[in-house]
Amino acid sequence: MGDIAATTGNAAAGRAAGSARGKPRDWKRTVFIALCVLPALGFLAVFMYYPIEETFRISLMHSSGLGGETWAGFDNYVRLFANPEFLAGLLHVFSWAFWSILIQLPLAFLIAFSLTFYVNKTTGPLRVVYYLANILPSAITAMLGKFVFSPNNGILSSIATKLHWTWLSNIDFFGDPKIAFWTVFIVATWTYTGFPIIYLMARIEQIPTEIREAAELDGAVGWRYAWHIVLPLVIYPMQILAVLCTVGSLKLFDLPYMLTTGGPGNATVTLGITLYRQGFINWQYGKAAAIGVVIFLLSLAFTIAQFSWQKREGDSR
Amino acid sequence: MSTTTASRGSGKLPRIRHGIPEVFVTIFLVMLALLIILPLFLPWMFVFKTQLEYAYHPWAIPLKLHFENFTEAWTAVQIGQGLINTLIVCIGAIACSVPASALAGYVFARYRSRATEILFYAVLIGYFVPVQMVLIPLYKMNLKIGLADSLIGLILPMAAFNIPFWTLIYRSFFQSLPGELADAARIDGAGHSGTFFLIMLPLASPATVLSCLLIFIGAWSDYLLSLIMLNNQNLFTMQLRVAQFLNAYGTDRMPRYAAAAIISAAPTVILYILGHRWIIRGTLAGALKE
Amino acid sequence: MKKRMFVVLVALACCLMAALPVFSQSKVKLTVWGRDIADDGADHAYVKALITGFQAKNPDIQLEYIPLGDPGLADKTKIAMASNSGPDIFQSWGGSVMGGYADAGRLLDLTSDLKSVPGSAAAQGAMSWKGKIYGVAPFFAIAGIFVNEGIFKANGLSVPTSVAEMEKVSDALLAKGIQPFACGEKDKWPALAMYMYLTNRFGGDAFGLAQGRKLRFDDASFVNAAQKYQDWIKKGYFGTKPLGEGYGDAQQLMATGKAAMHVTGSWMCAQYSNKAFTDQTIGFYAFPALAGGKGKITDIMGMTDIGFAATKLAADKKAAVVKFMKYAMSTEACAAEPGRICSVPGVKAPSHLTDMAAGVFATAKNVQFWWDQDLPPAVTSPLNDAIQTFFLADTNVKASLTSFESLMEENVGPAKK
Repeated sequence: MGDIAATTGNAAAGRAAGSARGKPRDWKRTVFIALCVLPALGFLAVFMYYPIEETFRISLMHSSGLGGETWAGFDNYVRLFANPEFLAGLLHVFSWAFWSILIQLPLAFLIAFSLTFYVNKTTGPLRVVYYLANILPSAITAMLGKFVFSPNNGILSSIATKLHWTWLSNIDFFGDPKIAFWTVFIVATWTYTGFPIIYLMARIEQIPTEIREAAELDGAVGWRYAWHIVLPLVIYPMQILAVLCTVGSLKLFDLPYMLTTGGPGNATVTLGITLYRQGFINWQYGKAAAIGVVIFLLSLAFTIAQFSWQKREGDSR
Repeated sequence: MSTTTASRGSGKLPRIRHGIPEVFVTIFLVMLALLIILPLFLPWMFVFKTQLEYAYHPWAIPLKLHFENFTEAWTAVQIGQGLINTLIVCIGAIACSVPASALAGYVFARYRSRATEILFYAVLIGYFVPVQMVLIPLYKMNLKIGLADSLIGLILPMAAFNIPFWTLIYRSFFQSLPGELADAARIDGAGHSGTFFLIMLPLASPATVLSCLLIFIGAWSDYLLSLIMLNNQNLFTMQLRVAQFLNAYGTDRMPRYAAAAIISAAPTVILYILGHRWIIRGTLAGALKE
Repeated sequence: MKKRMFVVLVALACCLMAALPVFSQSKVKLTVWGRDIADDGADHAYVKALITGFQAKNPDIQLEYIPLGDPGLADKTKIAMASNSGPDIFQSWGGSVMGGYADAGRLLDLTSDLKSVPGSAAAQGAMSWKGKIYGVAPFFAIAGIFVNEGIFKANGLSVPTSVAEMEKVSDALLAKGIQPFACGEKDKWPALAMYMYLTNRFGGDAFGLAQGRKLRFDDASFVNAAQKYQDWIKKGYFGTKPLGEGYGDAQQLMATGKAAMHVTGSWMCAQYSNKAFTDQTIGFYAFPALAGGKGKITDIMGMTDIGFAATKLAADKKAAVVKFMKYAMSTEACAAEPGRICSVPGVKAPSHLTDMAAGVFATAKNVQFWWDQDLPPAVTSPLNDAIQTFFLADTNVKASLTSFESLMEENVGPAKK
């Protein structure tokens, strides 16, 4: 059972297989690695590394983005940390990542496991449904979110008014700074949970039937099977999803921007929104680049931390 | 033959009713599914209404069906041209992203060394870049290499955005495959590329199916990158056509905008629903069997 | 099998890419980036008339008009300007954004060609920067109050002629369960229209002074206006959820008679007089004066409604560009517009509502350009952010304005008396 989930054992085997065969083999191996990595690196080299380098360079400049750059040193960064919008964005990004890992991932596991374990006439077609919300472009998702939560014409407030549910019709989903974040988060959960579900489903279905049969003989059935057998097997995919959640939160832009423009006040502002507003609306391209660098470095730091933790875990197993 | 694999989960095994009964789980799943589906039906409540009917009673049952919103949106979206462009972008993005990601992900999963680890991060950092940040340098880059204002000039950067993510996903899929299979193949005399193409890639077909599907959907929905990279109207994708309805005041005619949105989203939704049977089959076929 | 699929996909992609259309360029080609789609909608009638009319009159010029929608046009123009590429002509609202492009040397100076084109001074001023004319503004919008006259009549109210009356009218409306004002402040910019007027009515040209850095933005007139604004918000003049509603929602409130007044730009004339959009009777009035305040009822806030500017890329086809600009300002093209206030003399107001708005504009002795088009881009969205915070009950408006002032100091310079 361990071998299917083992993350480093196989790789170690691959390494051993490669190196044990002497020099000519080694040369072939290197060529193969190079050929495999080349296309991916080629794309990135042309279309990513130059923009990344530009971002780092401009973050040290005063620039409106229209040319005419002057050296700023770390001035843009220093000012960022005195900018309440940026600080609010930073805070929201972390709480967003925290809550998506805490809510979206367990929910996704629950749904993915149920859909793969309880296969019957109803759950079969349901598999189609769960990714449906993720297919739509975010402009449409935002539009649907407004139809649901708008105070005047939204379906919730319309129903609440009709039924005289004042507790519901009194909630200002977008305008109350304490609630707006959660409104946006609900809309995001509605659409973004599709990917973890479909990904975990694919991973759970990779589990060989023998494991399930063996587990049943041992008496691990139903939710005990989910908890003791399946969850440990998908813990590595879950970690990858956690990385994706974190980096996704750091970059988060279009959905909250289209729903609330980051408001009211700074209640739903994210780093992505601050970046866009600084770069494209305020013409502070240097500051926007500094935010881009912050997003980049934080993503890198979290990913490295996550992967090295996972590697240690893998080695100790 | 594939139908038998598709029903494998229920067919071979006796159903176990320990813990929470299956009925309750099914009801729970149905309710969650309704939560997902119901908002998708909201626009249908008013796309057949006039503007005034929408303003007064957005959620009432339409008394009379007005199809003008659809006919006007249809003309404006120019679905013919837009659809072809969108399809080219989608297929191009898949063709550029999937093979590159699969190859790189395989190497990063199965040939781990200090060097490949560094290369892995060199690829992965592409995922940390917020797209709004690099629009100006990307566009300048395209101008420099003569790809500005062409579909290929959109497809290639789009692939560069997709590759890091899918390399990570492929890597995780390849890591979870048992190493013995690859070793056995190698002992049988298959070379590095033979092992990959004949043994490992077919085993990772869930990842391939997933990536093709999601890259397709992502390319279909893309707005910002397409907006910046394409200047010629004849190259505009459907999302760009739909966005033309938006003005500073939100949208002046919500029912018509909703109709345009439905027209632009319908093909992917239909394709996804039709393709889903095939997707599940592909996913299951890729699962390990003896 | 998977491999075969890859091969097929790659082959297909290659075929499609090879088939990319190639465009020939024989005659002079003008590329115009605009916001609205040139279709049959009443609100797009001018753009359609401009494009089709110009093309019919100038068969030697190939006109490519590309509508980009709202954030699309602004974003794409910014990137095009940054990389010194893009269209020959683009739809522009003039002011500081256009000024920024002009300062970066991206725009084509059309002063000698356009200075004699007949049009209102305000419109020409909007499309000028540092004494040079870069484009035309065939339509110019002013801010004022849209009043639902039906509701006013039914409740025996008359259109307020002073700020005090405005409060009385609003209280009376509130008592009847009608929201006095529609606003749509979720979108952050709509509240500015009323704030500009309140500030002006309190302190006259306080904004002009503050912009010229002779006054701080947390000076008494700004603070008093903000305080008044916040009092009104707290009283419920803008409804119970002003921050939850977008500008589109505000239009709906007005269109369905749920709100009685809307302080915004005259660009809404077309819709508010369109029977397909609203079944209410709506009128347009100037924002009233404040007893004891410095501002006058003839101080009007205005901005470009539809305007065009040209880029340096069109330098070698300047003649065609000037032809286009002149046609944009022609009575022939402007006559198609169903609602906006035309800045070209001799164009008849298309509706009673537009006539009312044009009448208000005609009384203007002093036209102040809309603040967020007049201040440098670095501080315009922070200004709208600051105004949005007035809507939060626990905001200290003075503190909000002080923090905006410090941003002004950073970007423009400190205020000196």
